Amino acid sequence: MAVCVAVIAKENYPLYIRSSPTENELKFHYMVHTSLDVVDEKISAMGKALVDQRELYLGLLYPTEDHKVYPSYLLCRYGYVTNSKVKFVMVVDSSNTALRDNEIRSMFRKLHSSYTDVMCNPFYNPGDRIQSRAFDSMVTSMMVQVC
Amino acid sequence: MAQCVQSVQELIPDSFVPCVAALCSDEAERLTRLNHLSFAELLKPFSRLTSEVHMRDPNNQLHVIKNLKIAVSNIITQPPQPGAIRKLLNDVVSGSQPAEGLVANVITAGDYDLNISATTPWFESYRETFLQSMPASDHEFLNHYLACMLVASSSEAEPVEQFSKLSQEQHRIQHNSDYSYPKWFIPNTLKYYVLLHDVSAGDEQRAESIYEEMKQKYGTQGCYLLKINSRTSNRASDEQIPDPWSQYLQKNSIQNQESYEDGPCTITSNKNSDSNLLSLDGLDNEVKVDGLPNNFRAHPLQLDSSSDPSNSIDGPDHVKFASSLHETKKANTGIIHGACLTLTDHDRIRQFIQEFTFRGLLPHIEKTIRQLNDQLISRKGLSRSLFSATKKWFSGSKVPEKGINELKNTSGLLYPPEAPELQIRKMADLCFLVQHYDLAYSCYHTAKKDFLNDQAMLYAAGALEMAAVSAFLQPGAPRPYPAHYMDTAIQTYRDICKNMVLAERCVLLSAEILKSQSKYSEAAALLIRLTSEDSDLRSALLLEQAAHCFINMKSPMVRKYAFHMILAGHRFSKAGQKKHALRCYCQAMQVYKGKGWSLAEDHINFTIGRQSYTLRQLDNAVSAFRHILINESKQSAAQQGAFLREYLYVYKNVSQLSPDGPLPQLPLPYINSSATRVFFGHDRRPADGEKQAATHVSLDQEYDSESSQQWRELEEQVVAVVNRGVIPTNFYPTQYCLNSYSDNSRFPLAVVEEPITVEVAFRNPLKVPLLLTDLSLLWKFQPKDSSGKDNEEVKELVTGEPVMIGTEVISEFLINSEESKVARLKLFPHHIGELHILGVVYNLGTIQGYMTVDGIGALPGCHTGKHSLSMSVRGRQDLEIQGPRLNNTKEEKTSIKYGPDRRLDPIITEEMPLLEVFFIHFPTGLLCGEIRKAYVEFVNVSKCPLTGLKVVSKRPEFFTFGGNTAVLTPLSPSASENCSAYKTVVTDSTSVCTALVSSASSVDFGIGIGSQPEVIPVPLPDAVLLPGASVQLPMWLRGPDEEGVHEINFLFYYESVQKQPKIRHRILRHTAVICTSRSLNIRATVCRSNSLEDEEGRGGNMLVFVDVENTNTSEAGVKEFHIVQVSSSSKHWKLQKSVNLSENKDAKLASREKGKFCFKAVRCREKEVATQFSEKYIFADIIFGNEQIISSASPCADFFYRSLSSELKKPQAQPSVHAEKQSVEDAVRLIQKCSEVDLNIVVLWKAYVVEDSKQLILEGQHHVILHTIGKEAFSCPQKQEPPEMELLKFFRPENTTVPLRPSVEQLSNLIKTSLHYPESFNHPFHQKSLCLVPVTLLLSNCSKADVDVIVDLRHKTTSPEALEIHGSFTWLGQTQYKLQLKSQEIHSLQLKACFVHTGVYNLGTPRVFAKLSDQVTVFETSQQNSMPALIIINNV
Repeated sequence: MAVCVAVIAKENYPLYIRSSPTENELKFHYMVHTSLDVVDEKISAMGKALVDQRELYLGLLYPTEDHKVYPSYLLCRYGYVTNSKVKFVMVVDSSNTALRDNEIRSMFRKLHSSYTDVMCNPFYNPGDRIQSRAFDSMVTSMMVQVC
Repeated sequence: MAQCVQSVQELIPDSFVPCVAALCSDEAERLTRLNHLSFAELLKPFSRLTSEVHMRDPNNQLHVIKNLKIAVSNIITQPPQPGAIRKLLNDVVSGSQPAEGLVANVITAGDYDLNISATTPWFESYRETFLQSMPASDHEFLNHYLACMLVASSSEAEPVEQFSKLSQEQHRIQHNSDYSYPKWFIPNTLKYYVLLHDVSAGDEQRAESIYEEMKQKYGTQGCYLLKINSRTSNRASDEQIPDPWSQYLQKNSIQNQESYEDGPCTITSNKNSDSNLLSLDGLDNEVKVDGLPNNFRAHPLQLDSSSDPSNSIDGPDHVKFASSLHETKKANTGIIHGACLTLTDHDRIRQFIQEFTFRGLLPHIEKTIRQLNDQLISRKGLSRSLFSATKKWFSGSKVPEKGINELKNTSGLLYPPEAPELQIRKMADLCFLVQHYDLAYSCYHTAKKDFLNDQAMLYAAGALEMAAVSAFLQPGAPRPYPAHYMDTAIQTYRDICKNMVLAERCVLLSAEILKSQSKYSEAAALLIRLTSEDSDLRSALLLEQAAHCFINMKSPMVRKYAFHMILAGHRFSKAGQKKHALRCYCQAMQVYKGKGWSLAEDHINFTIGRQSYTLRQLDNAVSAFRHILINESKQSAAQQGAFLREYLYVYKNVSQLSPDGPLPQLPLPYINSSATRVFFGHDRRPADGEKQAATHVSLDQEYDSESSQQWRELEEQVVAVVNRGVIPTNFYPTQYCLNSYSDNSRFPLAVVEEPITVEVAFRNPLKVPLLLTDLSLLWKFQPKDSSGKDNEEVKELVTGEPVMIGTEVISEFLINSEESKVARLKLFPHHIGELHILGVVYNLGTIQGYMTVDGIGALPGCHTGKHSLSMSVRGRQDLEIQGPRLNNTKEEKTSIKYGPDRRLDPIITEEMPLLEVFFIHFPTGLLCGEIRKAYVEFVNVSKCPLTGLKVVSKRPEFFTFGGNTAVLTPLSPSASENCSAYKTVVTDSTSVCTALVSSASSVDFGIGIGSQPEVIPVPLPDAVLLPGASVQLPMWLRGPDEEGVHEINFLFYYESVQKQPKIRHRILRHTAVICTSRSLNIRATVCRSNSLEDEEGRGGNMLVFVDVENTNTSEAGVKEFHIVQVSSSSKHWKLQKSVNLSENKDAKLASREKGKFCFKAVRCREKEVATQFSEKYIFADIIFGNEQIISSASPCADFFYRSLSSELKKPQAQPSVHAEKQSVEDAVRLIQKCSEVDLNIVVLWKAYVVEDSKQLILEGQHHVILHTIGKEAFSCPQKQEPPEMELLKFFRPENTTVPLRPSVEQLSNLIKTSLHYPESFNHPFHQKSLCLVPVTLLLSNCSKADVDVIVDLRHKTTSPEALEIHGSFTWLGQTQYKLQLKSQEIHSLQLKACFVHTGVYNLGTPRVFAKLSDQVTVFETSQQNSMPALIIINNV
């Protein structure tokens, strides 16, 4: 399924990044970092519309040779914080053709809710790296689960 | 894509120019050689036309050509080898580096500020060279020779002959099948005959005549006389002539590498002497043998295929290549080109080109175009109809452009050179070359269709490409740029034709065009698509351009830019372009730096480090590697190990380069500067045998703010005592150990010859162990003359002068992975002055096989063997400690300021005495109240005598050195082994009941001096301890009354005999840990005796009840306690005798037993009390054994006084005195006073303890302090129950002053009553029914004031019990008395009681009320009822 899952803070530094084949970690880091440009572009292109529709999913960022990078752009609109522009980026093995858009969407939704849980932890300092075991295991499940 | 110097509109026409070949005779070549130039080179700077040119197109329209440029080159018979081209391109790129002082422009994108060089000259020169070095191919004609210049010299013997020879030669090259390479545009190439004439040498007449001859033969249009070399080269070149060749030749120096050094004389042996192109020589020679002297040299790029077998250019080879390039470059710059040419000659050459173009080339082109056009028109009529008819026939109405995918690989399909399909292409190319883009486009378009129909894909792609370019270049741009043409062309070239070179050209052009239209993302996509595995250099350049595209976009894509820069850098490094690689990584670094992408950052840093190292930019390498190591790295251990090794290796190289330079700063391990601790003094000696050294201060102790505060208070106390109660203003507590908590704002003082220990806290952030060797401190010292005045110049000494300061070196210090460890480094100052500890110096290294090292320093010897092999570098790290933040003034509060921290800058002062204290027989466990004798040894280990020794402790009741009166019991500890701690006197047993009285003053026991009972001077003999001397003093200890573990702090204070200005005193600390276990619990009460037998007369006597309980648990091995003596100590009272002496005289108490003693106490006689204010205490001993312990002597009295004083310290509730209540206060005090006693009981005991089957006798004493009559007092403080948590009150408590009233209890003690009556009374009731008994009521006033007393004899009627009493009696006579008692007066009342029955009666019914007579406010209070007074009435 996903080979790399990353949560990027508003200021574009990684809050959480994990990739399954660990020997390629560096490559994934580069990949995720580069995809932020596309995220930025998409946000600025249709930012307004996105806000209105509450559509967080950005769709396919760009395919590279062997992986597809899916991002999700997150607008957390809660009562106490506005526009925490946290981004999720997922790198998906494109050989896995069974993956549909909907499944990616649901994965992001899961990721989002798990992230929300992390944020709800009173001992979590917003902006720190995420070191939650629950979040970790959720990401693991997303990475392991082979469709 | 970076900005270019040229715009696209200039670039493309310049890339495709009409090509003209030049064929020179030997002689002509020799003439040009005089200028260090070949003929083609000679023309190069002038090959652009300065004026507009006009031409007529096939439709006879006038067409204007601007800025036409022609390319003249020598005929080269061999096609260039791909390997050679590659090498050339490589050199061009590596030869072009960004200028040093180039100001990069700053691009701000989001949070990023990037310095990016706007231009990429290496790319431009690459592109130029690439386009120029394109081999001519069959499918296009753009770089085919249109014309040929045949050059001969006027100095030749037979110039005309020579011309025809050259002409034949040209013909042979063009039409002979031996020469496949130089491609010619059309079969009948334009031949242009040029006669070179050397003005300085040749005969002008002859030249002119030859020229005339030529004109006749070839026509005026076909020949030219070019006069050059107007001056001789050896003429003094005082005249500065611009050198237009330099920019062309330098750029392409490789192409023209010829040995100019040989000079003009050796033209014939003109050979390519470049070492890399040696193989050319053979080829050259071959050509010469062939009889054709150097006119057609082989393509200079030609390489023997064996010399460059693969496209992988490995480093050293490349470096050599680059260096050779550099050399030739240098050589070139030394040569002045065109030395024989004057400015007139320049003009002549320019004129020649113009003439050639106008008269020769353009008419030729015009003619050719027209011819081709005619051909095409004639063919068109036929073929068009034919083709379209057949096509319609076969494929229906529409002529579809077949998709590329359907087409088979048809690159094999080749048209013959004269195929009609190629003619249209030829015409298109010609039109393109003369900038007639409209016509060119339509021709290309037609050609494209034809080729596609034939499925000649290579040809089609070429046509598509050029169609797109010419569409773009059309003036006024009537149609949009057909980008899809380009895409198709690229795809065809790449996928079908497998011709990457053509594809690359296509991409370069297309990207440039797209860029000019601001279609950056499309350009980037194109560029990226062409990166492939086959050429690293190309991929690198294209990726870099793509990166520039990203950054130049309207919303710059910084991260993509960075990523592609990294990719480019990677390819550059693979291509051997180290400098470019480094530059790319550095540019990318700007984006990744400090953004939290640590993995990427580390990778880039590592690469930068490596590249810098290979480029010998060692400083950069070091800083890059340093970055990896000091950032909290998340790399794996192996990776970190690799980083570290590289770092050390590079560092070593750096340090080897400059061995004399200052020591480098090392980044590892981390030093936690603020955790640095400094300790002044010797290390603590371990306990040896019975001797136990004072704990003092050591680095092993953790900082404890509470205890340090205690020590500080203790020191303040003793200093205050020394300075007569005032703490001097310049007093600062002595600090032996400086840490982050201590006050470091002043320079610490260190004593000469005493070591200074600095504890440095290291932390290894890596996952690999670090090994520090030869670790020592780095310092600076300013010695001060002992004479007191400073030297003229302050000498500054730095480490390495063992005369002044000795430095300890730790030979090996291993820090395991991710470990924090402290190192203690010592300095031994031998001279006074100012010392500054700067940092640490060490060799940093790793352990090679660190995986096998399990334990730290398991076998140091084993380690050394292993470590010595590993790499290490010497360096330093500074210790810079930031002081605490200042927060005192407003300015300091509003800004952030830090105070100084002078921890590491001690001042070495003159010698001071140094005391060491040892304790001998010092117990660790005691029973509560136990007295033990120990010895203290004071040793002066310094060379100065010490004096004024004092000890201060918070718990002075714990120990004593004995009073002044005490006879010093045996001085040596060994002699006193079995002696009692007490001073005893044997008594006869007769006097057991009565007390033995003695007295002592508290002054003798060192108590009561000032308000500081804690400060105790140590009774040194002679008050001075000489150097090296030692004194043993006895010391008694008494176990604290509470059970548990006690930490008792002693602070020894001493001074030097000579007063030192800087250090006034020194201190020594000791913490004793004593564990006490429960022994006895003593309760005592005192009450007034009611008895009248007062032989002492007035003053009254009291009964003292002492309850002794053995609370010891038998675990301590205590068998039993014996109470051996009870002593009283008071100013006014004394024990007189034991009242209830039980049978066993030696009062034994086994475990958990309780015993009760009762004593009678009497007031001391007046004469004894006379000295009331002299603090004299009367001691009275009651002995239960046969030895009297003299309680008024040491140590018993010592401890008594200490306990007393500690008791007094306890705060007594003294209510504040208000003036208006003064009288009340007085009264209250009077009342209180009469219930007060000041009797202190000392219980001395012996405990029999079995320990290791040996019986020991322990001794001890307990103190009970009795203050109030009737109130119980305890020997040990009662445990207080923790107060219950109070509810918080949120309202202000009303400040009501409770009127001060004496308590009821106190008031009830005003009058002492006692009834006197017969115990039993016999009365014959049958004779007389009423029995009258006389009773005397004795009222004694205990207070010192007059008291009104009311005696009420009436029965309380309210009491219900009273009614039930079977037999009550009545008082007869007056039932109420009112009287006044003077102070201490005793009054007796005679009463009569009347009984009617026999029985037992309680006579204690009279109620006595009393009040102070002069007080109205105080109500009468019923006085304390005496005990039941029982009377037995018997009937007789």
